[in-house]
Amino acid sequence: MGQATPPNLLDTSLHYSFASNNTRLLRIRWTAGGGMLLATLVSTRVLALPLPETPLLLLGILILAYNSLIVWRTRQIEALKGPEYIRRIQRLFVLQIGLDWLSLLLFLHLTGGITSPGVPFFFLHVIVVTVILPGQSPYVYCAVAVGVIGLVELLEVTGLLSHYTVLPGIDPDLYANPVYALAQGGFFAITIFATAYLASSIMDRLRERERQIAILLQTTQDITSTLDLPDVLQRLSRNAAGALAAQAASIRLLDDSGEVLTMTAAHGLSQKYLEKGPVDLVNSEMDREALAGHPVIIRDPSRDPRIQYPQEMAAEGIQSILAVPILGQGRRLGVLRVYSASPDDFDQEDADFALAIARQGATALSNALAHDALHRADQERAQFVRIVTHELRAPVTGAQSLISLLTRNMVGELTPQQMDIVGRLERRMAALLDLIGDLLTFAAGKAVERNQPLVTLPLCQTMDLIMDRQRPQAVEKGLTLTLNCHSPEHILTVNATEEGLGRIFDNVIGNAVKYTPAGGSVTVDIRAEGGRVIVTVADTGIGIPPEALAHLGEEFYRAPNAKSAGITGTGLGMAIVKQMVTRFGGKLRVESTVGVGSTFTIALPLATPPG
Amino acid sequence: MAKSKILVIDDDPDIGLVTRLTLEREGFEVIIATSGSEGLARVKSDRPDLIVLDVMMESTTAGFQTALALRSRDPNSEYRDYAQIPIILLTSIHSTTPLRFGPDEDYLPVEEFIDKPVDPDVLVAKVKSLLGSAR
Repeated sequence: MGQATPPNLLDTSLHYSFASNNTRLLRIRWTAGGGMLLATLVSTRVLALPLPETPLLLLGILILAYNSLIVWRTRQIEALKGPEYIRRIQRLFVLQIGLDWLSLLLFLHLTGGITSPGVPFFFLHVIVVTVILPGQSPYVYCAVAVGVIGLVELLEVTGLLSHYTVLPGIDPDLYANPVYALAQGGFFAITIFATAYLASSIMDRLRERERQIAILLQTTQDITSTLDLPDVLQRLSRNAAGALAAQAASIRLLDDSGEVLTMTAAHGLSQKYLEKGPVDLVNSEMDREALAGHPVIIRDPSRDPRIQYPQEMAAEGIQSILAVPILGQGRRLGVLRVYSASPDDFDQEDADFALAIARQGATALSNALAHDALHRADQERAQFVRIVTHELRAPVTGAQSLISLLTRNMVGELTPQQMDIVGRLERRMAALLDLIGDLLTFAAGKAVERNQPLVTLPLCQTMDLIMDRQRPQAVEKGLTLTLNCHSPEHILTVNATEEGLGRIFDNVIGNAVKYTPAGGSVTVDIRAEGGRVIVTVADTGIGIPPEALAHLGEEFYRAPNAKSAGITGTGLGMAIVKQMVTRFGGKLRVESTVGVGSTFTIALPLATPPG
Repeated sequence: MAKSKILVIDDDPDIGLVTRLTLEREGFEVIIATSGSEGLARVKSDRPDLIVLDVMMESTTAGFQTALALRSRDPNSEYRDYAQIPIILLTSIHSTTPLRFGPDEDYLPVEEFIDKPVDPDVLVAKVKSLLGSAR
């Protein structure tokens, strides 16, 4: 069966599990070697058992010696990464276990061959092998164990090896008794193979679960790392196939009619199969059942009446199918199908796992749908504002253009009184155009700005350009307009849009110029302070009464003294300023004394300098 | 020297009147079309020396489409003989709102922009400078 390329997390978990198993094995071996030395000494010196003391002590030392070598080798390998590490450490495992078997063989011989009380050690060893090495290796080791015991028995019976009898009270010739040897050897063989079988089936399931959990974790990471829906679904289908060790997987989503499933993502399917078109729910009982909320397992698609395209399935080599629903907040979104090239390959556990993946898919879909809806709403709003702008402005600009024919005397000379009236008309029209502009900027602001990425901008340079725009009016009124940058320019950067900054400071500085009587001054100071850029715009203007300060920033609010001074304005400027400052993560503060002047303080977060 | 012919494409009759009166006073011959498609037909039938083009007409981007059709890079374009005619684009929202029609807007194949309301002096200056440089 096709094995999916393991994602990174899987590599990491394999790496980790080999590393931790290796450490465990080394620790067990220190204990075994040390224990052998101690047990030998106790048995011979205290219990006075007839053990071959010197060979056993040498064996204990040998075990400790090769364990030290393996520790040294492990340290060398640990620097390696990924598949290379796994390859090397697997080889090291084989070497370790081979050396262990050899030690066990010697130990067995030295402690009485087939009559040795150390025989159960082999079970321990087979379990260790099963835990560490996957596949068929445990059975190979069992066969080797049986062979080793048989070999020792043979060599001892034929006299090529001398036999040690270590347990008091047993017949010294018992080892040579064929009935005893067969019974002992036979039961040993059966038990050790059964142990290996049980341990490896438990381990296989554990390994499979571990792999699935790693994939599920990877899937969760995948769906939170991007809002790109096709990409997310593609990863989901790949992960579903990989986790269930299946040939292929696909995700089909219900279209708006709720009747047709359209292929949205697939892994491992041929182009031909992908082109077989959408699935009509009416014809596909499998998908209907799945969408009703139950996982469906198809054991033989060529005979199952719930399948819409049995021939195509057969041509694709699909022998069994698992279909689970993708449900989001009670809504039917689509179906995740996993295809296997082996018949009857899926069980309830696989279905549960596929459901878990499908739930991730549902989350990703819900996120993406919400994001899309928001984006569409923004776009519709921008389009609406664009049309309304045109509809509102067209009559005004048309009227202004017509008036300009009169003021330029293009259609005959006007009397001074007529000219005065036309002039008034022109000014009213200009004010109306300003209002429309501000209103629509404000309405469009959120929709348009949200789609513009923030960039790092040098505030002093940007401010220079903005102030140049205000300079003609300031000069006309005889105002001094000054900019002071109190920190090095490269430090004073903010994350914003040029247009947004323009909108903020055009309004604030424009207001300062507008509401400051002739001969006054407008001063802009920029300084860095505690991770923020502080911009103050101070004027010597008419000031804002305390009762009006609280309303500043409300749409269409104009301070009473601004109105009575006969200065035109729309009452939207500060609302736009507030909107933009908030968008850039900043704060706005206003202090003012009527008749003395106002100071607007805008604090924006400093952009993190590169590096 | 024959009078220069100027085609004004705008669906707003008032703008048509203002541009016509303004330009006729300067001695130009003015032809008015009230939609992009009529404008394109007039380009072929009247062969103007300059085009003043509104953006939003029968659709919000009719003016852009007209400009793009006239300036098509396709060698088989039916307007290839007219691709050299200078175009002034009349916009009503370009400079006053942050709205943009698309990323290509800055690369529109036109020579000049004029914001509405139309200032007769600006219009005359831009027309004269384009016709001067075209000769």
